[in-house]
Amino acid sequence: MDLETLLQSSAEAHGHLCPGQVIGVRMAILGCRLIGLTDPTSRDQIKKLLVYVEMDRCAADAVAHVTGVKLGRRSLKFMDFGIMAATFVNLQTGRAFRVLSTEEARELASVYAPEIPGKAPQQLKAYKRMPDPVLFRVEEVRVKLRDVDLPGPTRRKAACVRCGQVVRDGREEDGPDGPLCAHCAGRSYFQKIRDVPDPEAEPVREIQDIPELSGAGIR
Amino acid sequence: MIKVIPVEEAVGTQLAHDVTEIRPGEFKGPAFRKGHTVCGEDVCRLQKLGKNRLYVIELEEDEIHEDEAAALLADALAGRNIRWENAPREGKINLLAAADGLLRVRADTLAAFNMMDEVMCATLHNHTLVREGDLVAATRAIPLVMKRAAIERAAAVARSQGPVVEVLPVRSARGGLVVTGNEVYHGLIQDRFAPVIREKLEKLGGELLSVEYVPDDAHRIARAVEKTLEAGCDLVLLTGGMSVDPDDVTREGIRAAGAVDLCYGSAVLPGAMFLVARIKDVPVLGVPACALHHRVTVLDLVLPRILAGETVGRKELALLGHGGLCRDCARCTYPHCPFGKGS
Repeated sequence: MDLETLLQSSAEAHGHLCPGQVIGVRMAILGCRLIGLTDPTSRDQIKKLLVYVEMDRCAADAVAHVTGVKLGRRSLKFMDFGIMAATFVNLQTGRAFRVLSTEEARELASVYAPEIPGKAPQQLKAYKRMPDPVLFRVEEVRVKLRDVDLPGPTRRKAACVRCGQVVRDGREEDGPDGPLCAHCAGRSYFQKIRDVPDPEAEPVREIQDIPELSGAGIR
Repeated sequence: MIKVIPVEEAVGTQLAHDVTEIRPGEFKGPAFRKGHTVCGEDVCRLQKLGKNRLYVIELEEDEIHEDEAAALLADALAGRNIRWENAPREGKINLLAAADGLLRVRADTLAAFNMMDEVMCATLHNHTLVREGDLVAATRAIPLVMKRAAIERAAAVARSQGPVVEVLPVRSARGGLVVTGNEVYHGLIQDRFAPVIREKLEKLGGELLSVEYVPDDAHRIARAVEKTLEAGCDLVLLTGGMSVDPDDVTREGIRAAGAVDLCYGSAVLPGAMFLVARIKDVPVLGVPACALHHRVTVLDLVLPRILAGETVGRKELALLGHGGLCRDCARCTYPHCPFGKGS
């Protein structure tokens, strides 16, 4: 896999070329090499790969682009840890490597690309030049995978005893009276305002028509 | 793992590390060597040295002692023409030049290495001319005991782009000089460049094989360069006509002789109007007039690098800018001064 070609296509897919793209593309190249996949997007390799990304930054898109893993295919797992790291799992062999972007690399950018002014362009060039041991720290790890975490058809469905919502792939919680969906179990990320019984009849409101959003400072 | 024991209880144990004694202005060195078995008489002396407690080491399986660590680091850092002995003193290993030549330090890898926890390496400046036996670098692990994985990672960083320190042999140049300028060619003034260039080449183990005198005429300059190459010279230097006056046609002559990769202008004073180029594998250097008036110029910075096989082009000449300003001291101490040491 050629860095420049991958970087170009990754930047196109992501929307811009940035230092995070370089980190992500190189992270993916290294991770795939470590688990023995030379062409992860090819037909015979794509089903062998699972990637956990620990950040939702530019690098995550680059990792996904290079490896071909996708959230909808369950080959991409997002762990919301805020850490510039990704773990590459070979499902066939079970071997897994976690690749972390080092903090030192940021401070060393001016040493590796002294002739480039400006923080971002300098990082971009320096991250291309830095050898893997400087740019990354690598750990061999064991990832405990359950059947319900794997790509493929839905393994299990359960209905929430409180709201009736069907929960797939073992993501329900055990409540005192039976399975609960994440929302009913108190892990929701929103607060419900009201039901919308007929979405087609729901008027589209401009921001100025919404009293709670049109106040000073919100727009 | 390191345990601490009171010095009074140390009788019969082996010292886990050298104990350094410093007598200001007189002596700095180990009063006791690592491995020394402490006897009753030593306790008092150790206390006089300010040691009331001592380390006893019990290495875990994933740990490494500083001496073994230093050897792993030295091995990873050292490249061509570097020798070192696996006999750390106070945890430190010296790296020495195993041949005369030009010290090459990968400053980027060195910085990355020193950013690692618990290790260090200090070197002379990159591009220092060294003699066989010169101390060029030293390394050590900082704690007495550390995790083996951390040292192995530091060693991997040290090796990541080739060795951090090496000594490149400086080839013996067979130089040819082309002195341009109507005033010299017609005998109005005497050339003073030839002896300066000869001395600089000879100092680096080379010789000046031929000197051609030509007027300010691009065609004649080109012809003189060709003649110099035909005479078997493997380095061509040109002096005169390197400035920006209308009569200065040396650059034109160099181009007409077939030079490529031509870079005119360096970020060094003295030496802004310096030129580097090549004809096939032969380096071609245009030396500005400052070489007559200053003991040390850009030529002294660049020539050893070129003779050591480095490519010097636009980027290298630009990076010389930091530290490239000669202070023009009444008593020149180069190379023991900052000139040319910023890149």
